[in-house]
Amino acid sequence: MLEVWFSGFASLLHPEVIAFLILGMGIGLFVGVLPGLGGTTALALLTPVTYGLEPVAALALAGGVMGGVPMGGAVTAILLNTPGQTANAVTCLDGYPLAQQGKAGLAIGAAASANAIGGIIGTISVLAVLPVATDLVLAFGPPEFFLIALLGLVLVATTTRGKMLRALVAGVFGLMIASIGYNDVTGGQRFTFGIEYLWDGVHLAPALVGLFAVAEMMHLSIKGGTIAKSDSDIQVTGMAAGLLEAFKHWGTILRGSLIGTAVGAIPGVGVTVASFLSYSMTVQASKDPDSFGKGNIKGVIAPEAAINAKDCAALIPTLAFGLPGGAEMAVFMGILILHGMQPGPLILMQHQSEIYSLIWALTASCIMASFVGLMFARPLAKLTRIDTQLLAPVIIALSLVGSYAIDMVIENVILSAVFGVIGYLMIRFDYPRITLVVALVLAALAERNYHQSMLMGDESWSIFFTRVPSAVLVVFVLFSIASPFIRAYWRKPAAVGATSG
Amino acid sequence: MKRVFGTPVVEYVPALVMVAVTIAYLATAYTYSEQARLFPVPVGWLMLLLLALDLVSRTKTPTGEALTRLLNPAAEAEGAESRFPLLRQLSALLWVAFFTAALVLIGIMYAVPLYIFGSMRFHGKKSYLTSLITAVCVTVFTWLLFGFALQVELYPGMLFSEF
Repeated sequence: MLEVWFSGFASLLHPEVIAFLILGMGIGLFVGVLPGLGGTTALALLTPVTYGLEPVAALALAGGVMGGVPMGGAVTAILLNTPGQTANAVTCLDGYPLAQQGKAGLAIGAAASANAIGGIIGTISVLAVLPVATDLVLAFGPPEFFLIALLGLVLVATTTRGKMLRALVAGVFGLMIASIGYNDVTGGQRFTFGIEYLWDGVHLAPALVGLFAVAEMMHLSIKGGTIAKSDSDIQVTGMAAGLLEAFKHWGTILRGSLIGTAVGAIPGVGVTVASFLSYSMTVQASKDPDSFGKGNIKGVIAPEAAINAKDCAALIPTLAFGLPGGAEMAVFMGILILHGMQPGPLILMQHQSEIYSLIWALTASCIMASFVGLMFARPLAKLTRIDTQLLAPVIIALSLVGSYAIDMVIENVILSAVFGVIGYLMIRFDYPRITLVVALVLAALAERNYHQSMLMGDESWSIFFTRVPSAVLVVFVLFSIASPFIRAYWRKPAAVGATSG
Repeated sequence: MKRVFGTPVVEYVPALVMVAVTIAYLATAYTYSEQARLFPVPVGWLMLLLLALDLVSRTKTPTGEALTRLLNPAAEAEGAESRFPLLRQLSALLWVAFFTAALVLIGIMYAVPLYIFGSMRFHGKKSYLTSLITAVCVTVFTWLLFGFALQVELYPGMLFSEF
């Protein structure tokens, strides 16, 4: 095992790969400070660019982006009370009051340390769990893989911030789109209506470019304006003290990192949950809970440590089971597929070296981004003064040209534009896009294994209940579907109690 | 705006459009062999069930409100973006459609500057000079990144294509 770890690390040590890692981290920091862009959009935008790269360089670029985004998001959360990512929203609670007290540098420094340490702890957990996950995956057959795909979809839908029904609609719409094209089982074409381009199905990478990069930019161009209203909003001093401050609260960092790791290993539970959970547990454990929300440095450290640890740990379900934990991981899966690496059981055996390179790249990016983020906090914050009317057309143009560059076919551009419009309409009418993406990614796995399960079980669904791992997964699926009802049931007596109290 | 069961009509449109799409999807699926439709048929029927629930949950009836409380407690009843003027939303959609058509017809090197300039000047209300400079810079960057660094043969457009 150690040999594979080192071989993964060694493949990173090439000037070209290091250059792409640094580039990715820079892009991550850049997009992290801009609300509305984020890691998902950046990865979608970069997907076509990675096509011409070696797999290790492509994964270094993607790992760099994923590692850089949280630090960028923390800078604007602290300075402007505007989180770059939703997960950084918790950082605002104490980060912004610190900035108002003239301690923005202290908060940014502490966030940088927490980010780096959280990333390291997350990496250690991935390195420890992945080999075990490989053995577990090998014990699974078609019924289990079908149920895992179903579980992934249901988990993502039920945890989509209180929009389970709309998330399920979007997910099933994704399954419908994914059934377009060549059918593995019958060898025939479905829903292509004579369009040759659709014979291979809906191409994932251009679809993701449209759903995230194009749709988000349309959304920003409609909103208009700039994020920071004036230059006086973005002043920073005293970051070195903050860097050391985090080490004085090692218990908070450790707790946040472990919470982030645990949450990251569960598919569908977003990074926002990790940061909120870490924050609330830190408040509960504190001797002075009233100081939170007024500028307590632990309120910055706890969520930031959880965010990066979660990002690393989210690789566990994504790589081992092919279950993306969130939109960013779903787009990242698109990059893996584009490079011939199908996430799931085989990837851990066939592409071990590349996968361990990715883990090292993500860790290196987390650490580097923290330091570079500190050095460039001021210019990074100035990015929030860019007018969205300038940003949006530039990103849309580069996205659509990038979409063409993937296979050099112009139909990719049309597909991206169509998905851009679908993505914008989903934002407009409040349908979560993540379940659509997860369905696009998981549909082939689900359908293939469903057919095989039916063959194994003589066309009877009993196959899903007679095998122990399947039966356990069925219980998980049913529990996930029932969880909103259970939550509602528990909430009612609590609400009644609160009213009568 | 006209309301049905207490909700603006426009809020029902996406679900109704999806109902029509799903019916067409199911009708097409039933023309395939039993093996080929094994997956799409249950998917289609499941979609119809979910869309029916979605439509009911959007109404301001007791059943609709109960469904929202249970399954969509955080969903916005009248769309997250309904506060933006419809014309502005349409303008953004049309600029993307225009850019796509331009890419297909006149190719990347002409469509990119045209779109950047037009979108910034007429949708974003930026000055002629800012729009022009940005258009030129992005076109040069596009060529440098895709044409030069990644060695991508930039699409010349249907009108200028030799094929």
